[in-house]
Amino acid sequence: MSSIQTDVLVIGGGSTGSGVARDAAMRGFSTLLVERRDLADGTTGRFHGLLHSGGRYAVKDAPAAVECIEENRILRKIAPDCIEDTGGFFVVTPWDDPDFGDRFLAGCRSTGVPVQEVSVGEALRREPRLNPGIKRAFTVPDAAIDPWKLVWSNVRSAQEHGARVLTYHRVLSLDVDEGKVKGAVLRDERSGEEIRVHAEVIVNAAGAWAGQIAAFAGCEVQVLPGKGVMIAMNHRLVQTVLNRCKMPSDGDIIVPIRTTCVIGTTDVHITDPDQAEITKKEVDFMLDEGDKLVPGFRQARALHAWAGVRPLFQETRAKKDIDTRDVTRSHALLDHKKRDGVSGFVTITGGKTTTYRLMAEVAVDAVCEQLGGPRPCRTALELLPGSERHATYQLGARLGAREPLPQAEEIICECELVTRSDLDAAIARRETDSIDDIRRLLRVGMGPCQGGFCIYRATGLLHSDRRLDYATANRALLAFLEERWKGLHPILYGDQFRQTRLDDWIFQGLLDVQHLPK
Amino acid sequence: MKYDVIVVGAGLAGLTAALRLTEQDRRVLVIAKGNGATHLAPPSIDVLGYADEKRVESPQAALPAFVAKYPGHPYASVSAEHIGEALDWLSNRVPELGYRGRLDENWLLPTAVGVPKPSVLVPETMVAGDLRRGGRFAFVGLSGLKDFHASYLAQNLARAQLPAQVSTRFIELDPPHGRSADPGSVGFARRFEESQFRDWIVQALAGWLEPDEKVGFPAVLGLAKAGEVWRDLEARLAHRVFEVPMLPPSAPGIRLYEALAGALRRAGARILIGDRVSAAGLEGGRVAGVNAESASRPVTYRASAFVLATGGFASGGLDLDSHGSVRETVFGLPVAGLPEAGEPLFSPRYFDIQPVSRTGLATDTLLRPVDNDGHVVHDNLFAAGAILAGAVPWREHSGNGISLATGYAAAAAILEQPAVTSRRDARV
Repeated sequence: MSSIQTDVLVIGGGSTGSGVARDAAMRGFSTLLVERRDLADGTTGRFHGLLHSGGRYAVKDAPAAVECIEENRILRKIAPDCIEDTGGFFVVTPWDDPDFGDRFLAGCRSTGVPVQEVSVGEALRREPRLNPGIKRAFTVPDAAIDPWKLVWSNVRSAQEHGARVLTYHRVLSLDVDEGKVKGAVLRDERSGEEIRVHAEVIVNAAGAWAGQIAAFAGCEVQVLPGKGVMIAMNHRLVQTVLNRCKMPSDGDIIVPIRTTCVIGTTDVHITDPDQAEITKKEVDFMLDEGDKLVPGFRQARALHAWAGVRPLFQETRAKKDIDTRDVTRSHALLDHKKRDGVSGFVTITGGKTTTYRLMAEVAVDAVCEQLGGPRPCRTALELLPGSERHATYQLGARLGAREPLPQAEEIICECELVTRSDLDAAIARRETDSIDDIRRLLRVGMGPCQGGFCIYRATGLLHSDRRLDYATANRALLAFLEERWKGLHPILYGDQFRQTRLDDWIFQGLLDVQHLPK
Repeated sequence: MKYDVIVVGAGLAGLTAALRLTEQDRRVLVIAKGNGATHLAPPSIDVLGYADEKRVESPQAALPAFVAKYPGHPYASVSAEHIGEALDWLSNRVPELGYRGRLDENWLLPTAVGVPKPSVLVPETMVAGDLRRGGRFAFVGLSGLKDFHASYLAQNLARAQLPAQVSTRFIELDPPHGRSADPGSVGFARRFEESQFRDWIVQALAGWLEPDEKVGFPAVLGLAKAGEVWRDLEARLAHRVFEVPMLPPSAPGIRLYEALAGALRRAGARILIGDRVSAAGLEGGRVAGVNAESASRPVTYRASAFVLATGGFASGGLDLDSHGSVRETVFGLPVAGLPEAGEPLFSPRYFDIQPVSRTGLATDTLLRPVDNDGHVVHDNLFAAGAILAGAVPWREHSGNGISLATGYAAAAAILEQPAVTSRRDARV
């Protein structure tokens, strides 16, 4: 068994784990990030893409609102390339408590969330598809954030500071000796090889899976997986984030992101975070709620649905035992030395992508405490790679980049304007045989045809660029088709069903992929 | 304007019905919102490639048991004799495609991922791709053509389940680019019609081919001049040459459309593409006419009989709404084959036969749509092609076969209807 020595081992390649890896590496610790699948393949890559202003929590959870607006301001400075500055509305629809508007205003003011009431006419002028029956409208600095870009830029920054990253490496066990966690055993999910890691401190940033990791160290951490279903619509029906102005509930937000808009979300407690099914009932409910914000929503073309799993932490230990210093409703830092008498082990869970940086900061503060004293955190001050232009992402940027030379090279994915050289570069950089990994980097297969045309092309290029054998290439193609179906079958109607029928004919009729050799 | 027959839809089913009726001196109008699946699919005719997931060698032999097992299948409304007759008829009507084949044997032709696919009727440009007798095959890739990956095809095909030994390899060519680096299949098809481009191809391949190799190209060997392009390549390469179908659009499919539309126009029929059609009126259990929303103004066309060949969900003949109900989009006809209310329309596994798959129009034996009680909805309305209930064409490999056979049979049913007066009678 080969082995790796590191100061800090970070478990989990979502926004929190990648933020922890960056922070730890910037503070001078040798750092290793491990993720059982691809980066941002868990909850981070499966939310609606909202950068919270804090407005959503202004009434229900003031500390969370304060954290959100502070982090919102920081991320706009350090990661503008990951953000599209859409702005947000909170609107009181005829279905909402008319008195909530005043509570919302008061909540925003007391938590420092910039809020401004605008007339219904002004709101409708800015968002013509908004329900004309709304009673009040407030603006807040909500925005859209690209979770894949965010994680990738954090990971790149971490690597620039010397961190190592191992994706598709699963933690099999933690080494615990006399009340101290000393390392972990990993398995390379692709080669099957096992690796021993010796670490001074392990940060458990496994999100909804954090309880499973903590159990390896004999610590009980109860994270209730809360399933949230999201639906991406084929059109950017709104240009601004639209929130229902009421207590947080299901189907209360539409986020415009890239060429789509995403409606979220439900909240259903499940037992296994790896078994998050999307039900027809949830989809129907969200379409109906979407109709309340944007009449005609139900008739619009749905593109894809997915389920993300929130890590909802519940402290099972008696109150007096825990260090509540960093525990708010938004996230939980568990120093297992204080909590469970297990040193060298810290869990950071709960929270949301908007506050990932803060979560990383408090987690690495706890690491410092165990490794000889404080070291200053600089993640709020230093720009993330990719954001050097200090400019937020503008809709149409890809088209703008292609337009001067429209015929210069092959477009592999017409929906998302991905070129042959983009794809070749991504295949080389990712060193992966998974089309889904490439999708997360380039958005291939995420447009209206959902891979109907580009997936054959991507398979052919994977096969030739990586000199794959036929069986590996065939598995990549078939795995992508099965994976995309999970997000398609719950929302198939209208034009997306029409498209899917064409795709079925292409894959099953024209190419006949189900009879590919194994 | 009054026609004998109005055909709604310009895919293989609609064009077949229209041409067959025009040949019998009926005044025919074909009206469609756009081109049909001919522009997407290869022109080879698959009648029955797989029955219950087992590859079929002779559709003629397999059909009786298949129809007995699936009595709601479109093939239950047409006899094997009629299917054979329709195949011969098509071959004769579009001689420029040089169709070969019979109902009693499936050819096996490679797909673009190298899977052998069964078809009964094959255009001459694809004939040499028949894999049944084995042999050596070289597949030619062209840089800049993103929809064809010769090495991937060749590797898979070498491992395919076939009755005889097949050996494969690939040759990648980097032909000079035209104005666009991404011309697509139709752009490449136009370039193959240029003799200088073919000169380059022939020179590039010179010396690379083994004596007994058959040479597979992506299906871009020309549009209107495809026969000439293909014969020229065979002669100058001194090898058998064949096309492999690719992702849409389909250059050989466009050839079939042009051949059928040309025959129709020469026979005197009218074709209108680009108009959305709706029912204009129902009189005494019969369809009186259709409205067409053309660019200038709405126009009503009247006829004695109507063929509905608008295709299934993929072509817009059927529409599934977000509440799970299905609508036939022109006449609002009753739809059959939907799962029971509350039952799922889809399976969570992609390669399952989806419960919604067989949804479509149920008909009587004359291909007239019927309601849930089996009563004919309109005496003079006939349906053909992918809109019919009961089939899973992309799994059975039966799509073009159903369209051809039911288009042909719908025309036969109309020709037998006493109420329809022919053009010749009308002139007397």
